[in-house]
Amino acid sequence: MQKYLLKRFVSLLGTLLGVSILVFLMVHMIPGDPVRYIMGEYATDEAINAMKVQLGLDQPLIVQYFDFLARFIQGDLGTSLMTGITVWEEIVNRFPITFQLACYSVILGSVLGVLMGVIAAVKQNTLLDRFIIMFSLIGISAPGFWIALFLIWVFAYKLGWFPISGYEGFFSLVLPAVTLSLLSIGNIARMTRSSMLDVIKQDYMRTAEAKGAPSLSRVFSHGLQNAIIPVITLIGIQFGSLLAGAVITETVFALPGIGNFAIEAISKRDIPTVQGVVLFMAMIYTVVNLTIDIVYSFVDPRIRYE
Amino acid sequence: MKETFHGLKKAFSLLVTCSVILAGCSSAGQPQTKSQDGQGVAGKGGTLVIAAPMEPDTLDTQLSTWVDDANMRMYDNLLARDASGKIVPHLAEKYSVSEDGKVWTFNLRKDVKYHSGEPMTAEHIKKSIERFVAISPNKSLIGPLVKVEAPDPYTVKITMSEPYAPFLSTVSDFMGALDPTRLDKLGDKFGDDPSGTGPLIFKEKVRGASVSYKVNKEYRWSPEFAENKGEPYLDEVMFRFIKDDDTKMLEFKKGTIQVFQQVPPHFVKELESMPGVGIAKNLDIGIQYLGFNNKNPMFQDVRVRQAIAMAVDRDPIVQYAMNGLAKPVFGPLPPTIPGYSEKVENIAKEMYARDVAKSKQLLAEAGWTDTNGDGILDKDGKPFSPELLVAGEPVLQQIAQILQSQLKEVGIDLRINVTDLQTLRDRATKANHDMALLMYGLADPDILYLMFGKGNSRRLHYENAELEPLLVKGRQTTDVNERLQAYEAVGEFLVKESPWVPLYSKEVVTAYRDVEGFKTSTSTGIIFQDIKLIKK
Repeated sequence: MQKYLLKRFVSLLGTLLGVSILVFLMVHMIPGDPVRYIMGEYATDEAINAMKVQLGLDQPLIVQYFDFLARFIQGDLGTSLMTGITVWEEIVNRFPITFQLACYSVILGSVLGVLMGVIAAVKQNTLLDRFIIMFSLIGISAPGFWIALFLIWVFAYKLGWFPISGYEGFFSLVLPAVTLSLLSIGNIARMTRSSMLDVIKQDYMRTAEAKGAPSLSRVFSHGLQNAIIPVITLIGIQFGSLLAGAVITETVFALPGIGNFAIEAISKRDIPTVQGVVLFMAMIYTVVNLTIDIVYSFVDPRIRYE
Repeated sequence: MKETFHGLKKAFSLLVTCSVILAGCSSAGQPQTKSQDGQGVAGKGGTLVIAAPMEPDTLDTQLSTWVDDANMRMYDNLLARDASGKIVPHLAEKYSVSEDGKVWTFNLRKDVKYHSGEPMTAEHIKKSIERFVAISPNKSLIGPLVKVEAPDPYTVKITMSEPYAPFLSTVSDFMGALDPTRLDKLGDKFGDDPSGTGPLIFKEKVRGASVSYKVNKEYRWSPEFAENKGEPYLDEVMFRFIKDDDTKMLEFKKGTIQVFQQVPPHFVKELESMPGVGIAKNLDIGIQYLGFNNKNPMFQDVRVRQAIAMAVDRDPIVQYAMNGLAKPVFGPLPPTIPGYSEKVENIAKEMYARDVAKSKQLLAEAGWTDTNGDGILDKDGKPFSPELLVAGEPVLQQIAQILQSQLKEVGIDLRINVTDLQTLRDRATKANHDMALLMYGLADPDILYLMFGKGNSRRLHYENAELEPLLVKGRQTTDVNERLQAYEAVGEFLVKESPWVPLYSKEVVTAYRDVEGFKTSTSTGIIFQDIKLIKK
């Protein structure tokens, strides 16, 4: 196990290094001049060049990259060119909101998604099954901004149960979490259903039935425990991407989360911010994936990492 | 799409930047409003919540290229502009300029205090101006400044190396007093805890969400256009930065937001029909234009540029794309800023009223004819098919399509390329394009120097040895009437040369509810002093 973890850790570092090169190249290659943006439309060329020198943007790319890498290794994610605020400070302020939102929607999504998937599999080809499939399909295919606006209109604007937008604690996150979980519910329910259907046909399920195990225990401990592995992978992926921020949901609900921040930085060509935030997201994503892999071995004793 | 839209607004930062919020306007809002059900009493206290168009990068306006109500109202400027754009006294009771136009003297009010209670003096103004010159991205707008002096506590003397007329505009948009104690303490980090002499006192900012202010109850030095000379009524003002327009609209309809700035054109009808909602429309100081890359061989011939200007019909653009919330503009300056001349506008209107036949004729004279009968003009075997760069904002894309169909009628095949604004600006700056749909604006006619002056033409790439002295005369003439004449000469020249096709100035729409005495204009910003909240 330890050897395995070490191996994974090294490959995690490799991934991050790769991401850092990619992000660096991308932000420097796309057209658009951050200095022109900071200095405004009508700054003279001399002023622009002076600023570039000051920010080190006149250096060769390779020098800039190693500079960036060196600072990153020391834990310095950079400072925004636009606001003068460090990327780390922004992340510390914004990530908790994104994190809470991701947790709530993943919990809601997994519980409901797995439950619906199991029910659909057990009641295969019944009306209930069809309804669940339909619901999942709607969850997957309805655009996020539409669901968000619909929920706002009904539960915030008409009924007034929740604030329309902004962040003022838990209640502000209910509608966004529901919005995001609808997509997860759809995906997770479908995955659980098909995985369960495979398992239900296995011999050991028939054996369990023959030896008279109660149907609930049959479904959950014999069935679901075997069917859950691909679902866990899916939940992990969903969680990872939610942690990178849900841009549309954050925008519609005016939540100051990390996704919104990243998009804003990209549109302003705020090079250090984009680099810092993307690397941070990549880090979170890989760590979540690693955790999920470790979780497998607890759920399914057949999986052992040596 | 949304992002680009916001990016776009930022791009026009100068517009907004300098002028900011601040230039002439066509109409101020109606002062009287009743709450939705006609009930409720207007009174003291309460928090006014405003949905602002964009989050400022910083609250230190000397460091920002985005300056609007959300970050500038902690500060007062030496001079102000009233709703008609006229320059009026503010921190300076009066000002004068020396005979040779090089020395400006400002006599300060004596009753002005910082939020901390410390009285404001000329030394502080000197310090603020010197900081602006040292660090502001907009420092070039201050002109050829030599020195700032404070001969006594209430006099500021500013010396230029040569006359610079736009200085008055800069003074009324930027030059004010920043709290000197805070400046010493925070330096570059002044924006973290800013303070000045203005009507709003910084309370709190939540990055990505809002900025909150307390209202300065000691404020008695409003410019003359504020009606309330006594204590302000409001307790607090909060700016919220909601990016999604639909969300903003729902918040406003619910009444959780009282002021909706820069309402998108497609919401205006619905808001106008809502009881208890007031609408203020102010003509912008910026112009949307169809710009040529004047370095591109395609547009070297003035006849080609004129022909394209003649092929454009602004009415459908204003009516359909802008929902009627714009005014067609033919000349180089919008009617909202000083230097605008009706004479020039009329010449331009006459010259470039839509005329397909004449446009085709001019193009033929320039050598562009349809030799292969495909409906597209060609010359030396190449079709006339320029690329038009457009930012992602839906309204602009619509305009691009209208232009495409109008130019098609004269045989020009416009290829629309929708891109994000940063890419567009980058290509336009590098002259690596054919045409672009862009905007410019400043509360001073010196904008034309910034667009066409020597070494300045970064979007249109049009410089002209004949034009240069006219532009320089405009920026060096401090007499108002002589200056207007100078800009008439500039205008006539530009109209004839047609280095770009001006299209329109938009109406900036603000919606408000549950308030009494609400007034705003592009030149004054929201006049917080007069606003009372209506409580139900």
